Amino acid sequence: MAKVTYITPSGEEVAVDGAIGNLMEIAREHDIEGIEGACSGCCSCATCHIRVKPEWLDKTGRATEAEQDLIDLESDTDERSRLSCQVEMSEKLDGLIVEVAPF
Amino acid sequence: MSECPYRDPFKKKRSEGPVLETEFDNDPVAMILGLKDVRKAARNHETFSSNAPFRVPIPREEKLRSVRQFPIESDPPEHTEYRKIVEPIFNRPNQPDYQQRITEIIEAVVIPCMETNSFDAIHDFALPLQSRALALLLNVPEEESELWIKWGVHVLREGDGSSKGREMENYCKTAFRKSSEWGDDNLFSILNDASFQGRSLTDDEKLGFANLAFAGGRDTVINTLCIILAHFAENNQDLVRLGKEPELINFAGEEFIRFATPLTHIGRKCPVDSNVHGVLVKANQLISLNWASANFDDTVFQNPEQIKIERKPNPHIAFGNGPHNCLGAPHARLLMRNFIRVLTQKISNISLLSFESKTEKTKDYQRMNGYERLELCFSAK
Repeated sequence: MAKVTYITPSGEEVAVDGAIGNLMEIAREHDIEGIEGACSGCCSCATCHIRVKPEWLDKTGRATEAEQDLIDLESDTDERSRLSCQVEMSEKLDGLIVEVAPF
Repeated sequence: MSECPYRDPFKKKRSEGPVLETEFDNDPVAMILGLKDVRKAARNHETFSSNAPFRVPIPREEKLRSVRQFPIESDPPEHTEYRKIVEPIFNRPNQPDYQQRITEIIEAVVIPCMETNSFDAIHDFALPLQSRALALLLNVPEEESELWIKWGVHVLREGDGSSKGREMENYCKTAFRKSSEWGDDNLFSILNDASFQGRSLTDDEKLGFANLAFAGGRDTVINTLCIILAHFAENNQDLVRLGKEPELINFAGEEFIRFATPLTHIGRKCPVDSNVHGVLVKANQLISLNWASANFDDTVFQNPEQIKIERKPNPHIAFGNGPHNCLGAPHARLLMRNFIRVLTQKISNISLLSFESKTEKTKDYQRMNGYERLELCFSAK
């Protein structure tokens, strides 16, 4: 079963085992601080902004074009920025670590 | 889109510059137009403050209500603490049983309309739906909404505005007294029991919260519901498509909310003399964050005057942006999405029988943002 760890804006590390779904849905189910997911994955709000640990970027991939358009409107973003609603958890991402960006 | 209720009145003004220098209430207002500029300003409460009682809505509302609205007319960090008080209420839409109840409320309004040859989409449909759904949000008995329906589409601006505002405030004062009969987890009880900076809320603060809860999401929700109905009446293919592709319903909801942008703009006060994209705004004067213009900014949205139900990304700011983003957004989103879902399940066609557009008229623009009258007929599936 895949495991993902969120590092919240206040520095807490929250690990979720058996994670299924996209990283926004998983975060909401587990009340991860800083992930709101207001638009439920429509790429409208950017309230689920995360940064992927560099060593995981090859496996998660970088932001898609639609995702990047929204990320570009936000401040405090970088090449590791993703919208967590657009990252689907899978076995190949077992052990993934992401940082929740402050909103 | 021949009958489309909306054309972007700010298109030319955006091409002329980032700010429209206009006026409201005989005072100058620097209206920010572009999406990126509006987003940025909405997040900058130090330069553009909400600590401006009665002046965050434009035009100003001293004559329409007796109290400052909370949490909207305050700045962080006080705003953050005020907002936290009512978050348990406004996050209720995330509960699964709430989602089921919303659908039941929608069906209870849709089904009677299916049994008539024509209905008034505002007074027979959108107004009762908005009010009953609000009762669910505020966690008070649904019967309470029967009185709220009588307050009309815009409780503060219906007719001369002031009389309905007073009636609503008097209702709220009574509700604070009897709210314990409804339990300890409704809006009024929560405000009665709340603590702010180590003290209880004052009566005016409590009334300011309640005032916003009733006024804030009223005409906005009603206008958006009507714009969705009118769109489906003229574009049956979108209703059919959403029935076949329900995975698009959330995207369609966002797109309708962008297109409707029911609140054109909102005010912020400059505490000190400020240069706003080359325009001097003197201390205590207002700027405006123009959500409607921003949501039709063609440097961000392709073909913004077209409703594309599959639009993605859709970085609209119809619910505002930053710390003051709309508290009622989860409720409004759920209502719109489930409303669309119920229509796709029960209705095969909507006929537009007659309508009269509603136009917001100001010195420098006229914007159609809803209907004065919208007469429709449902064909059941």
